[in-house]
Amino acid sequence: MAVITIQGLTKRFGQVVAVDDLSFEVDQGTVVGFLGPNGAGKTTTLRTLLGLVTPTAGSARIDGQPYRELADPIRHVGAVLEASGFHPGRSARNHLRVVATAAGLPLARADAVLAQVGLAEAARRRVGGFSLGMRQRLGLATALLGDPRVLILDEPANGLDPEGVHWLRGLLRQLADQGRTVLVSSHVLAEVAQTVDQVVIIAGGRLVTQSTLAALTARTDLLVRVRTPQAETLRSLLAAQGIHANPDGADQLLAAGTTTETVGKAAAAAGIVIYEMGAERSNLEDVFLQLTTHQGARS
Amino acid sequence: MIRLVRAELTKLATTRLIYGVAAVMAAFAALTVAANILDRQGAPPLSADSFPMLVGGPVTLLSGAALLVGILGMTTEFRHQTVTQTFLITPDRGRVVAAKLVAYPLAGIALALGIVAFTAAVATGWLAAKGITPSLLDARLGRVLLGAVLAAGLCALVGVGVAALVRNPVAALVGVAVWVLVVEGLLMSLLNIPSSLAKWLPSAAAAALTNPGGAQLSRLAGTLVLAGYALALALAGTRLVVRRDIT
Repeated sequence: MAVITIQGLTKRFGQVVAVDDLSFEVDQGTVVGFLGPNGAGKTTTLRTLLGLVTPTAGSARIDGQPYRELADPIRHVGAVLEASGFHPGRSARNHLRVVATAAGLPLARADAVLAQVGLAEAARRRVGGFSLGMRQRLGLATALLGDPRVLILDEPANGLDPEGVHWLRGLLRQLADQGRTVLVSSHVLAEVAQTVDQVVIIAGGRLVTQSTLAALTARTDLLVRVRTPQAETLRSLLAAQGIHANPDGADQLLAAGTTTETVGKAAAAAGIVIYEMGAERSNLEDVFLQLTTHQGARS
Repeated sequence: MIRLVRAELTKLATTRLIYGVAAVMAAFAALTVAANILDRQGAPPLSADSFPMLVGGPVTLLSGAALLVGILGMTTEFRHQTVTQTFLITPDRGRVVAAKLVAYPLAGIALALGIVAFTAAVATGWLAAKGITPSLLDARLGRVLLGAVLAAGLCALVGVGVAALVRNPVAALVGVAVWVLVVEGLLMSLLNIPSSLAKWLPSAAAAALTNPGGAQLSRLAGTLVLAGYALALALAGTRLVVRRDIT
């Protein structure tokens, strides 16, 4: 069952089309990575989903309702947004107590979520002195305050150190295991690849693809890496055989959709010297980059 | 709604602004008492009769302080982007503005009560040292207190209204200062507005509460006029706040 439904969503800011006829769904209990380069429209989509931005056309719904019409939004949906601020003069604990008071949650929840995100020690410190990573943790604590079934996280890994990113992965996995639905955005696939079940990739405000991570992995290519002083000669030779190869550095080629045998025979026939050759698989990041830049060039 | 008002008051109580404003106002109140007692040129000699005047010294600035607190209570949310979280909790933005319209006048009234009590304590002590025993039952004292409370509450209300409309703290503060210090005066002199009309302008209506008497509106009329300005500003501001994208 779809928990989040984005349907024909378009948002224009003046002349700029930030989101362009975007549609996708997020099913209950799944962790979905919402991916795209900076400026792809991820934040605008999420802010529209949360009722902060009014769409130009289309709709964004949670459990069939616009966010603004949810009966108890904080218990239903937890959100971490970029540029969602804290008053620098207020302590972390007081920040959460303000939210709890306004949402009608018990004040004891503040200490519970601070412990959950590892900020118990810093609870009484003013947020103004917090590092970016600590702010992200406090943002997550705020999102978890109402123990929501749905989590919407905009670039939660930003500003986290490697240990923090590792911790975040664990937290997301834990939340997913509890049956919560998580939509997490990132401009770096690797940040979320180990955690998500599915990915929604957008670029230029449009949907590029929605697929499982496995389907995305299947799109990776077999590549042959060749180190040779005659890279350009070999490249045109392979091109003549219909094999596409890209230079990678001064004396290296990356040939796609071929085998070491084919490249080796072609090189031997032309008397090309080869220092080194091996097969490798393109990684997810390459697929992501290829998908998003292709789309970016089109729009 | 009550929990939203409580949340607004918690916001106010968990940052330093209100304590700073209270401390500055207390210092100013003590100074006005000192100035009014030490500088007696042209004034009748000190007596128990001087007490209400001494207590009323800081009332005008007090309403300015309440205005400041009201303005910052709204603009700070935009400046620090806490408004995102606020609207996530309460997507019905009109209710957020309404909660502020209740909470900040309450804070303004509390501030006024505190500062008036403090001023009265300082003045009583000083007069006692001079062998004068003021009466706390003086009817004029009651009028000073009522004026201070009404003015501070309504000015905080105006502050929230202005800030809902303007959002930027500096623009809101400068705008209000320019209006009170320059625009109203210019309007009166340039357009040659008779005082029968000028007394309906916002700061003249506020003055009817802080410095009653003369050609000004009655206290009741001043209260209603000021409340009317505040609500008109708040309504216009709310319409903007509800429609604007929070990015």
